[in-house]
Amino acid sequence: MSDDEPEEGPGRPGSPRATPSVERPSTDEELASEWADPPGLWGRLRAVQNDAIGQRLLLTGFFFLILGGSLDSVAMRLQLARPESDLLSPQLFNELFTNHGSVTMFLVILPIFEGFAILLLPFLLGTREMPFPRLGAFAYYTFLFGGLLYYSSTLFQLVPDAGWFAYAPLSSNEFSPGLALDFWVLGLGVAEVGAIAAAGEIIIGILKMRAPGMTLSRLPLFAWAMLVTAFMILFAFTPLIVGSLLLELDRGFHTQFFNVEQGGSVLLWQHLFWIFGHPEVYIQFLPAAGIVSMVLPVFVRRKIAGYTWLVGAFVAIGFLSFGLWAHHMFAVGLPPLVLSFFAAASLVIGIPAGVQIFAWLATLWSGKPVWNTAFLFVLGFLVIFVIGGITGIMVAAVPFDLQAHDTYFIVAHLHYVLIGGVGFPIFAGIYYWWPKYTGRLLDERLGKLSFWLLFIGVNVTFFPMHIVGLLGMPRRVYTYPSGLGWEIWNMISTAGVFLIVPGILLFIVNIIYSKRRGAPAGANPWGGDTLEWAVASPPLDHGWSVLPIVHSRHPLWDQPAVSEGDAKLERFVEALAQWPLRWRAALIVRTTDALPEEVFRVAGPSVWPFVTAIGLVTIFAAELLKLRLGALAGALVVVAGAIGWNWPERPPIDEEEELAFEREHGVPVRAGGSDVVAQWGMGLSILFVAIAFASFLLTYFYLRLENDVWPPAGIALPDARLFAVSAALAIAGVVAAYVAVRRIRLGDHRGLRLSLGGMLAFGSAAMALQIISYSRLGFGGTDHAYGSIFFTLGGFCFGVLGVALIMGAMTLVWGFRHALTPRRHVTASNTARFWAAAVTVWVIGFSTLYLGPYLT
Amino acid sequence: MLIGRRRRRVLSPLPSRIGNVARVRFAASGALDPRGPAARAIADLWWLMLGLGAATFVVFALVLVRGLLRGSASADDPGDERPGWLVLLGGVALPTVVLTIVLAFTVRTMHTIPNAAPEGTLQIEVIGHQWWWEIRYPQHGIVTANEVHLPVGRPVEFLLTSADVIHSFWIPQLGGKLDLLPEDVNTLVLQSDTPGVYRSQCAEFCGLQHAKMGLLAIAEPEERFSEWLQREQAPARATASSSAAAGGQQLFADVGCTSCHTVRGTAADGTGGPDLTHFASRQTLAAGSLPNTPEHLEGWVTDPHAIKEGVGMPATELDEGQRRVLIQYLEGLR
Repeated sequence: MSDDEPEEGPGRPGSPRATPSVERPSTDEELASEWADPPGLWGRLRAVQNDAIGQRLLLTGFFFLILGGSLDSVAMRLQLARPESDLLSPQLFNELFTNHGSVTMFLVILPIFEGFAILLLPFLLGTREMPFPRLGAFAYYTFLFGGLLYYSSTLFQLVPDAGWFAYAPLSSNEFSPGLALDFWVLGLGVAEVGAIAAAGEIIIGILKMRAPGMTLSRLPLFAWAMLVTAFMILFAFTPLIVGSLLLELDRGFHTQFFNVEQGGSVLLWQHLFWIFGHPEVYIQFLPAAGIVSMVLPVFVRRKIAGYTWLVGAFVAIGFLSFGLWAHHMFAVGLPPLVLSFFAAASLVIGIPAGVQIFAWLATLWSGKPVWNTAFLFVLGFLVIFVIGGITGIMVAAVPFDLQAHDTYFIVAHLHYVLIGGVGFPIFAGIYYWWPKYTGRLLDERLGKLSFWLLFIGVNVTFFPMHIVGLLGMPRRVYTYPSGLGWEIWNMISTAGVFLIVPGILLFIVNIIYSKRRGAPAGANPWGGDTLEWAVASPPLDHGWSVLPIVHSRHPLWDQPAVSEGDAKLERFVEALAQWPLRWRAALIVRTTDALPEEVFRVAGPSVWPFVTAIGLVTIFAAELLKLRLGALAGALVVVAGAIGWNWPERPPIDEEEELAFEREHGVPVRAGGSDVVAQWGMGLSILFVAIAFASFLLTYFYLRLENDVWPPAGIALPDARLFAVSAALAIAGVVAAYVAVRRIRLGDHRGLRLSLGGMLAFGSAAMALQIISYSRLGFGGTDHAYGSIFFTLGGFCFGVLGVALIMGAMTLVWGFRHALTPRRHVTASNTARFWAAAVTVWVIGFSTLYLGPYLT
Repeated sequence: MLIGRRRRRVLSPLPSRIGNVARVRFAASGALDPRGPAARAIADLWWLMLGLGAATFVVFALVLVRGLLRGSASADDPGDERPGWLVLLGGVALPTVVLTIVLAFTVRTMHTIPNAAPEGTLQIEVIGHQWWWEIRYPQHGIVTANEVHLPVGRPVEFLLTSADVIHSFWIPQLGGKLDLLPEDVNTLVLQSDTPGVYRSQCAEFCGLQHAKMGLLAIAEPEERFSEWLQREQAPARATASSSAAAGGQQLFADVGCTSCHTVRGTAADGTGGPDLTHFASRQTLAAGSLPNTPEHLEGWVTDPHAIKEGVGMPATELDEGQRRVLIQYLEGLR
């Protein structure tokens, strides 16, 4: 079959048109060397380029997949092959399944998709970089260090063993003494911070950094999927971080959040965990759906059917997934009305899922398939994911879930969804995009063999688990008795693993072999329709010398040339290919119509993200070892790192040169760093603070409802008088912050410094009063859940205002150095924004604590 | 060395023994072999959903295969967005119909299954411990462990709570599961329509020996059930000769068993471990892990950690004679 061979060259299937060139030989080299990461080991630590960061995330994700995803599962399946087997001790088995779940959920799928996104998006979107390259580097290091901190538990023989969900009170000090669970909370906590950092980078990248003309309705579907996913990460991981913090406070500082004896609640943990845990499933699935939506149309040579339907489905899934968390808690004894609500919500998500499936089928209907490996993985995905979806609908039916919950039926369901629905698209994506980054094709024969081994192996392994679950076999048991009809199904499951393992090994062999010996790919080996296929394989460091101008969802199929458009835009992209060559310039577009909004200097290589990540992991590692001074040192490193990272560099050109370009092309230039990106970054940071704050408030009111007596007997109602003064002072601080912005707009440097000083004084005074008020409380944070939340929510308010103070102090320093001008004052306006947010948290947070007890 | 050898002798026949026990005693296993109204309603719901799910999959598979084989007349033209009708029919209409049916039957099934029982219903308290079940019949003043007896043909109200971590109570043949929480009492109403011995085990991961936290649910006709109630209400009565029994009772206290175990009618009143008043009448040892025979009991008493590593019960050093006396005493607690 000639269909087996990918077509060379032409952009559009069967058309004679060559892939349009985006290179400019005159400047390519200079641009590429300006954008390249510095050489050597030191250079690697400072690397921020999206290619490097994306590839590191992918590789590290795969490393953890082999370690925690594969080795663990082989061992567990061997143990369960026969009843009453004593191959593994109960302790080891419990450690293995805890590790398997934790690693795959936190350290594998997420970094792989964030890696895909950071690597691909600039090419898909026709831009040169992600908006915050240093944040991308920081996200990578935190993920890596978090993963290593978590895994270091193995070296100390203190491996977490309370399941990937770490339910309280099993995860408490009382039932899990020792440090094992601290490794779980703290190691994964670091990695979670990285996930959130990368999510912010991805959101702003997609919304603001695109080629001219790439409107939201022309956005490639993978970008849409990642946009929704990144927002979900922000909304889901933040409550998890708060929950983990509370758990660690209980474990390390003896607070009482989850101690039933002292007013805590074990279900509070489950709510916080599953508010994260359920969206997490779709956080993993949506990027996979995005990849399928990119790969499938190219291999059936048809534009995707129902683009708008698919976007709608992604967004709908994003919203709905936050309304389903309690379907993991059907068996905890919720009221019937709540059960019905969550059952209905869980079923409704079947509709967007169905829309997706049939949009893909409709695409397939109208085209003619090219049977290569990437396409096979897409087909395998469709079949396995549909089965997983059907069993998913079944477990949404509450009464049936009460039978299936915590049995092997669920294990079967989730592996169908995660391996079929997520793993297979990852493979499809790798086979599809590999040539772009290596310039070589993966071997098709090895690829197909590997596909069939995996497809058959996954079904042989996981299908029998449905049956054995219905026969009553619970999850997370290290062994089971014979005579219950479970033996044969377990034996088959284990046998299936021996198909999956060679399938994965063949894939690794293929990667190693094709990296050196694979057939040369050319720029567009599949006849793809999206922008990444217009750049060379492998691409130059900056990707695009001439930015593309987009008129279609499928620019390479519909456009005669990539960089053609109206004369003004053409002149503009051509100008950016020639200037600047001495600093990294990238384009910001308006969110909706994608017209140029700003040319700005992207941050360059820096060691500070690495230092900051080291500081962060030091805090967590020191907390693990109960070295409070070490944690303080780590915190200082983080602060120093963040200051160094954001230290304003002298702009490479003066304002006059900026204005000259602006006059000619009508697009402002910001060689000192982008205003737009900085504002968006601040917006997302405030969103992050708001979500964390909401999680603390939820904790407060949940505990309030769980306790009939609030505050507990023996504790007086709080005295709100000092707080009233501190709130007024804090609000005065915000007013001063906005006066400062106004002064610098008018060029009044002295006024700027005075009002910033006033702002800092008001804020410090507010803090001081609040500290006095706390010192008079007469109770601590460790006696009762009331005190625990009083000090923790209060501590959060202090922390946020503390960050605002540091930010304000930095701005004041820059004010003294005359680094702020009427034209470049985004630091001051961002400081004012953050102050407004911090003081809002301050006022609402302490109002809740001081006035909440008066509500009955 | 001696201990090592003995341990092996006690341990090696276990797998087959348990297997035999299981095969002989348990007729049924799993959710698809319903023996009560709740489980039956759920099984009906399952078969309905299986049918709908299979039908959905067949529709999907037909569309997929047809799409793959169809080919397109004009392969060169990437075309515009098309088959909108397919998305509408398959993606919106099909799931909407299927899901509405599933939701309707879900709600109906939820209404069929009672979540409260009328006043006067037999109540059984189940208290989860790492890793055994405390069973109480508050209306009859009975305390036992790891074995729950219930009458056939009438509903029983289980009051579920936990003494330590979260566990989950689940008798698949009788109905769905419900968690045992340290902060609350959950109520589960179950009924068995036929006599039978149902094997159950903890369904929420609860620590090291989660896998060996088993429970037998024994459904008996009214008559036998009330006999059992009467037997259980009575204090311990050793059947062996009274002097031997007295010696055993003394030894039971001397080696420290009484600090955790209660034997009603004697001085033993510990509460950390299972109540042993009618221990010998129970079918299993170590929360459903072993059949309750003198040989297994001997292995369990001398070195419980060889059978169930990490369990709360300490090993007891006994000489040959003491061992015989103690086993005899325990086997006499009927």
